[in-house]
Amino acid sequence: MPNDQYGIGASLLRKEDARHLHGRGQFVADIKLSDTMDVAFLRSPHAHARIRSVSVPPGARGRVFTAADLPRIKPIRITSQATGAKAPAWPPLATDKARYVGEAIAVCVAPSRGEAEDLANSVAVEFEVLDAVVDAPRDMRGSRHLIHEQWGDNLYIERVVEGGDIDAAARAAEVTVTRQFRMQRQSGAPLEGRAVLACRDHRLDEVVVYSSTQTPHTLRVALGEFLDMEARRIRVVAPDVGGGFGPKARLYPEEVILAALALELDYPVRWVEDRGEHLLSAAHTRDHHYKVTAYADRQGRILGVDAEIVVDAGAYGLWPQGPYQEAAMAARNLPGPYTIANYRARHYTVATNKAPLGPYRGVGRPGACFAIERIVDEVARAVGRDPVAVRAENMVRSEEMPFTTVGGMRLDNGDYRESVRLCAELLDLPAIRARQQLGEPDGRLIGIGFAAFAEQTAHGAAEFVARGASIIPGFESCTARILPDGSVVLMVGIQSHGQGLETTLSQITAHELGIDPARISVRHGDTESTAFGFGTFASRSMVMSGGAVARVSRLLRDKLCRIGAHLLQCDPAQVRCAEGAVLGPQGSVSIAEIARVAHLRMDGLPPGVDPLLDATATYEPAIGTGVFSYATHGAVVAVDPETGFIELLDFAVAEDCGTMVNPMIVEGQIRGGVVQGIGTALYEEIPYDETGQPLAGTLADYLMPGAAELPAIKIGHLHTPAAATEYGMKGMGEGGAVAPPAAIANAVRDALAALGAPVGAEVNETPITPRRVLAAIRQAQTAAMSV
Amino acid sequence: MSMIHVRINGSEVADDVPPRLSLADFLRERRNLTGTHLGCEHGVCGACTVLVDGEPARSCLMLAVACDDRSVETIEGFAGDPVVAALRRTFHERHALQCGYCTPAMLITARDLILRKRAGSEREIRDGLAGNICRCTGYTNIVTAIAEAAQEIGKEAPNAQ
Amino acid sequence: MKAPAVDYLRPRTLTEAVDLLAHASVEARVIAGGQSLVAMMNLRVASPGLLIDIARLPELHAVASYSDAVTLGACVTHAAIEDRRVADPSRGLMPRVASTLAYRAIRTRGTIGGSLALSDPAAEWPAVLAALDAEVVLYGSSGRRSLKCTEFTTGIFQTKLAQNEILESARVPKLSPDARYGYVKLCRKSGEFASALAVVVTDPRRGYSRVVSGAANGSPLVLADTSRLVAEGPRDPDALRGTISGDLDRASDRHFDDFQRNLHTVAAMRAVQQVLV
Repeated sequence: MPNDQYGIGASLLRKEDARHLHGRGQFVADIKLSDTMDVAFLRSPHAHARIRSVSVPPGARGRVFTAADLPRIKPIRITSQATGAKAPAWPPLATDKARYVGEAIAVCVAPSRGEAEDLANSVAVEFEVLDAVVDAPRDMRGSRHLIHEQWGDNLYIERVVEGGDIDAAARAAEVTVTRQFRMQRQSGAPLEGRAVLACRDHRLDEVVVYSSTQTPHTLRVALGEFLDMEARRIRVVAPDVGGGFGPKARLYPEEVILAALALELDYPVRWVEDRGEHLLSAAHTRDHHYKVTAYADRQGRILGVDAEIVVDAGAYGLWPQGPYQEAAMAARNLPGPYTIANYRARHYTVATNKAPLGPYRGVGRPGACFAIERIVDEVARAVGRDPVAVRAENMVRSEEMPFTTVGGMRLDNGDYRESVRLCAELLDLPAIRARQQLGEPDGRLIGIGFAAFAEQTAHGAAEFVARGASIIPGFESCTARILPDGSVVLMVGIQSHGQGLETTLSQITAHELGIDPARISVRHGDTESTAFGFGTFASRSMVMSGGAVARVSRLLRDKLCRIGAHLLQCDPAQVRCAEGAVLGPQGSVSIAEIARVAHLRMDGLPPGVDPLLDATATYEPAIGTGVFSYATHGAVVAVDPETGFIELLDFAVAEDCGTMVNPMIVEGQIRGGVVQGIGTALYEEIPYDETGQPLAGTLADYLMPGAAELPAIKIGHLHTPAAATEYGMKGMGEGGAVAPPAAIANAVRDALAALGAPVGAEVNETPITPRRVLAAIRQAQTAAMSV
Repeated sequence: MSMIHVRINGSEVADDVPPRLSLADFLRERRNLTGTHLGCEHGVCGACTVLVDGEPARSCLMLAVACDDRSVETIEGFAGDPVVAALRRTFHERHALQCGYCTPAMLITARDLILRKRAGSEREIRDGLAGNICRCTGYTNIVTAIAEAAQEIGKEAPNAQ
Repeated sequence: MKAPAVDYLRPRTLTEAVDLLAHASVEARVIAGGQSLVAMMNLRVASPGLLIDIARLPELHAVASYSDAVTLGACVTHAAIEDRRVADPSRGLMPRVASTLAYRAIRTRGTIGGSLALSDPAAEWPAVLAALDAEVVLYGSSGRRSLKCTEFTTGIFQTKLAQNEILESARVPKLSPDARYGYVKLCRKSGEFASALAVVVTDPRRGYSRVVSGAANGSPLVLADTSRLVAEGPRDPDALRGTISGDLDRASDRHFDDFQRNLHTVAAMRAVQQVLV
């Protein structure tokens, strides 16, 4: 392949680094506009309460705004084509009722954030407190006070996914294993919270909204809809974004309110979310309940799975996709990479008096993976075989692919079983088994566990149509512009916030045009300069936006070649782009020279060729249902049976994401995802009490993994290029976060197998806290004594 | 309001500040030194770490008024500092940053570990980073980058312990 | 969130500081390192009207070594103890504790006096200094007084510090060369507050043994029977466990649940084992 030193497959160092290493990144809170006023929100202290009145002290008038003061704001509405889906309207500032602790009621404007908070504290709200709905499985059919009264229950949607004949599988089963699983509610918790800065630009007759968002273009769509404004009068800028991970891929009330305030007031307004607000009111995630029964034969071959899934989705649905996808994706992905033929999953998405649930790295799949991978291990234990062997034997074989799972996922290609073998090798499974035999001098118990998954990535229109989505993020776009000096600007509709897309997208153009990536700029995150795109989420940007960059680069390459051939006086078929030039049979002409001709010396253009080197292209993968990355994760833990404390001794990932554009960045994404998955597994949780009060309001309560608690993450690669994408790329941004909860829970299970024999102790709830470990040990020991 | 005199990145600065103003907000809002980031404002995440009188400190937990007559170094400083220069290079080469939000404070913390000879092994480095959360990288590459910088600086040999 | 509005004064002497404190017309609080107080103000769970900054008072940085004890000024930082920049009466226990306390960037500002005066139930110093039989010296409008640490902290964030008093120093008895100590901090994440703390000090030459549980839903809890058992020397683990359980059971005001009770038992067992080895 040409241009390999910096093109596809090169671990090119990142263009993004220099600014951050010098503290010159520009996040929303870093942007200074003169006369900016700071904003603080008055938020509901109650989970469920009617708002009787809001009293603003006389001195605060004109600086405190309620819904009545901002009439241009329309309620946020989601739509879904899915049968039976209920969609509440969500007024960005609560009017009649507050439905979760943290819901915004009024917005306060002052010269500094501290003073804005003082104002918020001066406002008195009279509430009539209602019973809170906090137990999704219990209250989904009804509660004393319904969250959305007109519904008659607390259900957003209930559906069934099924295939084959689950009753026949139950009859044929030699082994039946049933378990309940729980993945608790958590926060996405990027290190930079949300932030919005909005101002009017009178010259351009527009409102400019800077937001720490993953999706600037769809944010503009939403602002237009809910402020009843034409899109041409709205500009959205996502500057540097300090981590997204999914929660920043949704519209928030605060974004609508800040834009409305900027229109109302004639000065810029800024809201910088603090950590407490983030834990309270930014999208929460996970919060799954499962009951799973597996039917298997005596060898551990799984014949069927019957599941019930309840997702506690909080009080409202976040625009645009609403609350529906979490449970739906869990139900469709639960059969995992397995050939299970008979399946039924009833799934329920439930409204509760908690913060709205949104996407977070993995969306639905960490829970599904936790459920199926724990069940696979329990099936293996029930038939007395090693989970590693049982897992591999149940997997789809390469030669069966493409294979459509009973959950409806079309697994395109790869060698799933090899990933299990490779992962076991990375952790040296035999050595761990030998160590277990010897026992630990400190009395701790060692366990090893694995979990596998196939991750749908870069799904296009077909997938989102099937989901009943109101917006179909089926393509991405790129405008490429070669400037008169031959330097290149790529303008893309995605947003890069750590993924390194400024680097990797330039690698693609470098690959296609033979231009040094140092001569290429990537512009993203600004509706002003980029064609419409959906943003960065769902492991899609490298495949989708990269595909658009590839296509547009080829358009420019063809034009460069036509002009170059003309200048070289040869046939366009005889030239190619490489080394910053168009090379002909005799001689070459630099891209800079061609660019000069295309802009400044049109007398040098061939007949019929227009000036400018400027093109826009869109891209959708050839298959709209996605291409599947896959991996097996493995964990080695030491469990202290006296305290329940867990040390993670080793962690390995054996994965395949097809062609890697930049292996260094791929590995960075994997490791980052894995550590977030470890957070889900061991640390992160936002519990609510029975009155609907969230109990994790600071980072002293909400623990995130730190360097001291982690081993170095090992990675092994397999390489199966996708057939349906440019260069064979597959998305891979989320996978790292999918399997760690399952792998670690299986490792803990392995460690505790001997306690409370013959059944052993198991923890089927994340995070696996010392308290839960000790409770599991006690339970197993009690059960063993009563046998 | 209280008048304070602070030496910031080597320059004397005088300003009148309300006592409630944190050092972080003073740096960010009054001095436009926005490389100091806020991630929690209660001392856990570490993103606001700067040097006060040469020692790492949480700028969210210091009042600007209490920094009167003290010297403060932020990521915008360190011109000519060989340890920070080495760290910038190894962080870049080892892909030790993604979104960049934790990075300035991570560098300041890493510099302190190296200068205090607490970067001699992976274990030491990991323990020394306990107070700096990175949500993106999973830390592996940060640890490697610090170990390499420590080796380059020659004050520590990695894996010495 | 941002701290609420507050006034700020930086007196030049301890006497002046106490005067300000005694005559303040609003809620006045002393600030030293501010590592807890500013966090609490940022969260708006503390909103004093006046801050009296004592961080630079030279009296509070004084460290003096006597034949039987060391006094550490209240504003000695955790980092100074960790780095052994100040005299260590504890033969290594205090530096070891300091190195486990929050994070380095907190330890450089946070002070031993601040930790004692606040008496966060999960904090290290109240438990460790109680185990070392230390005293605090309080300086107030009516002069100086000393109190044993075991008496000084009375509950969760509660002490005998009067409104017009400032904690001036801690007087820590010197351990004999053959004294032994054990220290166990159980916490899920490095630098976090403890889920359970146990500190054991045994100094046969001085006829002294004490076992203290920290993070114990109140003031540091002296395990009296266990302390006596440790003084008597090695015992079999079951007897030790039983004695610890008995001590914890008697502290019914702490309302330990099964998990906490177990954790404190294990922490105390392990800390005692460090002494017995």
